[in-house]
Amino acid sequence: MQIVSGGVTNVGRVRTNNEDCFRIVEPLNLFVLSDGMGGEAHGEVASAMAVEAIVKHCQETENDPAMTIFADMPATWSEKTKRLSSAVHLANKSIYDAAQANPTRRGMGATVTAAWIDGTRLSIAHVGDSRAYLLRNGNLQQLTSDHSLVAEQVRRGILTPAEAERSEMQSVLLRALGAHPEIEVDSEEHTLFGNDVLLLCSDGLTRMVTEPEIAGTLQAEPDPAKASERLVQLANEQGGADNVTAVVVHIDSERKGWFSWLRGGPRNTAQSIGSAGGK
Amino acid sequence: MAKLTLMFENRLVKEVPIGSRPVGIGRSPDNDLPVDNLAVSNYHARVYAEAGRLVVEDLDSLNGTFVNDLRVERATLHDGDSIWVGKHHIKVDASGDTTTLSDTGKKAVAAPRINETMMLDTKARRDALQQAAAMGERTQFAAGRQKVPTLVVLSGNTDQTEYVLTNKLTVIGKSKMATVRLKGWFKPELAAQINQRDDGYYLGPGDKVPAINGAAIPGPVRLNEGDTIEVSGLRMNFIFRD
Repeated sequence: MQIVSGGVTNVGRVRTNNEDCFRIVEPLNLFVLSDGMGGEAHGEVASAMAVEAIVKHCQETENDPAMTIFADMPATWSEKTKRLSSAVHLANKSIYDAAQANPTRRGMGATVTAAWIDGTRLSIAHVGDSRAYLLRNGNLQQLTSDHSLVAEQVRRGILTPAEAERSEMQSVLLRALGAHPEIEVDSEEHTLFGNDVLLLCSDGLTRMVTEPEIAGTLQAEPDPAKASERLVQLANEQGGADNVTAVVVHIDSERKGWFSWLRGGPRNTAQSIGSAGGK
Repeated sequence: MAKLTLMFENRLVKEVPIGSRPVGIGRSPDNDLPVDNLAVSNYHARVYAEAGRLVVEDLDSLNGTFVNDLRVERATLHDGDSIWVGKHHIKVDASGDTTTLSDTGKKAVAAPRINETMMLDTKARRDALQQAAAMGERTQFAAGRQKVPTLVVLSGNTDQTEYVLTNKLTVIGKSKMATVRLKGWFKPELAAQINQRDDGYYLGPGDKVPAINGAAIPGPVRLNEGDTIEVSGLRMNFIFRD
């Protein structure tokens, strides 16, 4: 698989500080997005800590595969999924410890949605109300469940999705990094197909831009960096009430094998021109 | 103040107010609402106020406690509800009680507008969650009714005859990594896919356009229990298993 990605974060049109944070680690095909919360500048601190801790752990485990895996993980999960989930546990611990150590930082926390691609396998680890979507065959499919009060109410059949979108309780989270020493992390694995598009985004995007608009933008814009810019721009055009972040990842099937060689000729030299990532 | 009225076939048997102490319901005479019927356990259920709402709790009774038509272990009561124990029922009157929730059970909790993202950890926020959880309990039935979404293969060549949907995304196709694996020549790698969302399971196209109950679906459509899915020569039933 050939992987090309791009991402943008923007303060929005209402807030004065940006508590969102993201990181693309190209050599690892690791993508991490976090949305912080807490008064003053503490949201920014928390989201930066989350991203930092996750990236650091994933990089370290690449060099030292013998590193401990935290918490109970199903044996069927791949190594990368386990490591990504461990990384989120670690991030939670470091934010929690920092908040406990400094009384002015109490209450700081962060969401996190992280994706790690290894060949055709996509590992997801997630806490909070940022989201991962997979656009495939024109369908925008949500890979994460929001850990918010209104989403929980929809799952219990108390609210309809439309009622949840209008609710004034949308910002209330039931799970976030930094609130408790232990945390439950949602982790899953998926198989990627050629032409899949992965999107990680903060709630600043999904509250301003509808899913059909997101799907349309991702389909219309073949360049991931431009697609993420366009999504952020749309969110700002439609209110920009919150910080908004989008990370777009294109998964293109690697053309190899005799059939595509016959069709396209040898292309090993020109392969990575114009691509930001790739492996 | 809220009150409970014990009724037997439209006759009023006894009325008690709900104060700070739980109201006991059962066959034993020392209950606040004694119910003289063999179908009722000695200490059958109790009703109490908690965090501004009324709660009924079944005390492991033999024949169960029902709120309106649903058997419950624990449920939040609303004005006008009926609690059934045996052939008796208890009417709930919470009309004088402004702190209990309105009867609709469908409205979002009224709360001050919240712009900042936050965790539910202060008292006010806990109360909001409790109210929401209270509404949730209405749909939470007695234990043992957890249902598992399942695809049952009716016809077609697949690697299993039944698939439990555990992932957010279920792929139907010939791909080695597909959950529902199609076998045979000329089958698509990715025939169709099912996405679990908050409000249910959505079937969407892959390389093929699937049909639900005979009607082709160009985009994602929410599955209902009992729906028949057809794609690439495969027919399956979508059901919830106990």
